[in-house]
Amino acid sequence: MRAEMFRGVPWLALLVLAAVGICAAGGEALLPFEPGELDLGAAFKPPAWISGDWASPLGADNLGRDILSRIMAGSRVSVIVAFYAILFSGGIGAVAGMVAGYFGGWVDTVLMRLIEIQQSVPAIALALILAAALEPGLPTVVLVIVLTYWAWYARIIRGEIMALKGRDYIAFARVAGVGTARIFLRHLLPNIFNTLVVLATLQVGQVILFEASLSFLGLGIQQPDISWGLMLADARQYITNAWWAITMPGIAIMLTCLASNIFGDWLRDRLDPHLRQL
Amino acid sequence: MLLSVRNLQTHLHLRRGLLRAVDGVSLEVAEGETLGLVGESGSGKTMTGLSLLRLLPKGSGRIAGGSIQLDGQELTTLSEAQLARDIRGRRIAMIMQDPMTSLNPVFSIGDQVGSPLRNHDIARGTALRGAVVDVLRRVRLPSPGERLGDYPHQFSGGQRQRIVAAMAIGCTPRLLVADEPTTALDVTIQVQIINLLRTIQDDTGAGIILITHDLGVAASLCRRIAVMYAGQIVETGPVRAIYRSPSHPYTQALLAAIPRLGAKRGRLTAIAGQPPSLIDPPTGCRFAARCPSRMAKCAEAPPVVDLGDGHSASCWKLAS
Amino acid sequence: MLRLFGRRLLQGLFSIIGASIIIFVISRLSGDPIVMMLPNDAPLSAIEEMRRTLGLDRPLWAQYLIFIQHALVGDFGNSYRWKMPALQLIMDRLPATIELAVCGLLFSVAVAVPVGVMSAVNRGGWVDRVGRVFAMLGQAMPAFWVGLLLILLFAIQLNWLPAFGYGSASQFVLPAISLGWYPVAAQTRIVRSAMLDVLDSDHIRLSRALGTPERLIVWKYALRNAAIPLLTMLGVYFAAMLGGAFVVETIFAWPGVGRTVVEAVFARDFPVVQAGVMFTSILFVASNLLVDLSYGLVDPRIRDAR
Repeated sequence: MRAEMFRGVPWLALLVLAAVGICAAGGEALLPFEPGELDLGAAFKPPAWISGDWASPLGADNLGRDILSRIMAGSRVSVIVAFYAILFSGGIGAVAGMVAGYFGGWVDTVLMRLIEIQQSVPAIALALILAAALEPGLPTVVLVIVLTYWAWYARIIRGEIMALKGRDYIAFARVAGVGTARIFLRHLLPNIFNTLVVLATLQVGQVILFEASLSFLGLGIQQPDISWGLMLADARQYITNAWWAITMPGIAIMLTCLASNIFGDWLRDRLDPHLRQL
Repeated sequence: MLLSVRNLQTHLHLRRGLLRAVDGVSLEVAEGETLGLVGESGSGKTMTGLSLLRLLPKGSGRIAGGSIQLDGQELTTLSEAQLARDIRGRRIAMIMQDPMTSLNPVFSIGDQVGSPLRNHDIARGTALRGAVVDVLRRVRLPSPGERLGDYPHQFSGGQRQRIVAAMAIGCTPRLLVADEPTTALDVTIQVQIINLLRTIQDDTGAGIILITHDLGVAASLCRRIAVMYAGQIVETGPVRAIYRSPSHPYTQALLAAIPRLGAKRGRLTAIAGQPPSLIDPPTGCRFAARCPSRMAKCAEAPPVVDLGDGHSASCWKLAS
Repeated sequence: MLRLFGRRLLQGLFSIIGASIIIFVISRLSGDPIVMMLPNDAPLSAIEEMRRTLGLDRPLWAQYLIFIQHALVGDFGNSYRWKMPALQLIMDRLPATIELAVCGLLFSVAVAVPVGVMSAVNRGGWVDRVGRVFAMLGQAMPAFWVGLLLILLFAIQLNWLPAFGYGSASQFVLPAISLGWYPVAAQTRIVRSAMLDVLDSDHIRLSRALGTPERLIVWKYALRNAAIPLLTMLGVYFAAMLGGAFVVETIFAWPGVGRTVVEAVFARDFPVVQAGVMFTSILFVASNLLVDLSYGLVDPRIRDAR
């Protein structure tokens, strides 16, 4: 039974995710260098295996800041954004989807129209207009992602609920006079829980990419906070001087996304194989 | 002899094990003759048909033994390319069960009926259109000239089966394998398609193997019938002989299961039990477990008993 | 077909109206829109005039009606940075963006179709396996990073292609690849699974039984069926290209709508942002509509559906 539980677990992916989590939680204590610390003498110091040294294994950027330390520090933004964005978009989407799927009728029609409208504005355009209207920063990034992704949850959850509603035990519960709130909490929510977990895991990678893109454009995380996308925006100007400043933060993004996608795929196959087509 | 199959063995390599879908089938079809291959689903009759064209599931299916000869030419040793060029659609053609899914929904019927003609160099270029119209006329499709650009969904089920038949007979094949050609159709359309097959045979002198689970359909079109059970032929003979004196207990059970007009209203006898697994089949008679007249000897493979007049059956009861 | 199209058109209009409401509401989010719509150093008279034209003394719904009235005649206000009507600025930049989006889409389809087909035909073969690894990687790489890596490799290290600019054919290559990179994985998956379905269908079996050469079966008879699901998604992907263009245009200094809007955000040139976003949304909806229309070209069953 226990062995069965752990069959095919993507350990490598979990290891990467754990590393990102530890960097994010561990904070300054873990870092080899103060990530904001300037050392102009070390500017453009290449990675250790080229001509640098092992004090800063991934090299330094244009201001001599240690890239490894900044990548580790930047993980925190990714984790925080992913956490809040998923919490709110999943929560709002799940509630909207459950209500629309369960009650049907005009509630459902309104929701479907809202989803259609939401999908007619490109996410990044929404981000631009929000960034223009509000202060750019972490809360705006989260807001944009929530506005973009709630519909994704809502549509899938709605479908699940509509299928569930047709089942006998829900019909019995209604006939037996079980209150609506109780049906939602005791009968519907537990049934969509697996789906929610799978969707949330699959969203992690996309959230990280989105945050990086926004920060890269200067619409997301602002200096002096550290984010991978922002590091790439900085490094872009020195692309001819220091290729490592471009590649290293990107690799951090890629590995994190890759790991969470692989883990999400595995989880989906375990918990909710019918979501395959997503 | 047009087609002569000897001791054919077709294996499917499945994850669960080696499935002997066709296990020692021998049969013959003469020019202009129609052979009915009758059996339940899973008896290996369709696999036998597919084996003739070596259209087995990619990767898992394999002809493991025996020989297939068409006009004396051995087919089992031909390469895939030779089969596609000289045999499939050219000398042996196939009509499949469901006319609703047998036609490609996104190509016009002119293109689809013309495809075998093009591929086998029967007609090309400007002559192609005329040839296609001609074939469609032969299968009695109404006003074929005006409908070449139409798509399958614009035709009825019966018309679609005619179009499928047109694809099959375009290159005037020597042998036609019709796999349950009427099963998916309404009863009135079934009669039309049976008549069509008969006309095609009269026109071209092709041999036909009619694969069906329906003894009635087989009787209406075939001169000879071979009854398959669990990958083997258990009885074969002229239609009349099989109907009048079915000799294998399985054939008897099959006939008893058909409700007949004029017969006394009795119990419809269903055959108790399930056919054996073909992954690890019993060593003796494969029908023994379900047979009402089972004997101790049935644990050994039964002999083929010649009952005269081309009628034979594999059963210990007949040997004694 | 006509009725279907009519319904889609109505839905599209509805979405565009919805999008305009979203844009309107957001643009009022931060309090006094005048502050955002005019440069910081705008004279008091300009502020007063703006307030009157926008009817800011009226209730919100009335303000929206005024906004939409202006939007309908193409009046989003003047760009203060470029000193020209915002809409005209966007229209001027639009062709470059559409060219880029089309090229990106062409690149992704040109990769996804052959790889998807070959993965399906040779399931578990090397194309399938390599394709799957690339798909995993592709989904984990942000478009802008792909762009930067391409510049690093092909423009800086190898010096084969220009790193930025717009005009010559060679300048299209890197932006189109960075834009088309991300959707390749999903498109390959769509083609692959559609091909697997089709190759297992009765009509392909019949085709094979009648001796159709394998090359024709795969690339003609099966592919046209398998293309339908991809085609139904092309609108979505084209829309994704428009979204991606904001980032890719910025990297490659591409003179399109995306870069213009991004720059406008930093310049607080709000009319341009509004017009750009509104226009992208319309394009978004229109591309989906066009694809709905084009189904009929590939799928005769839909052509006749009422």
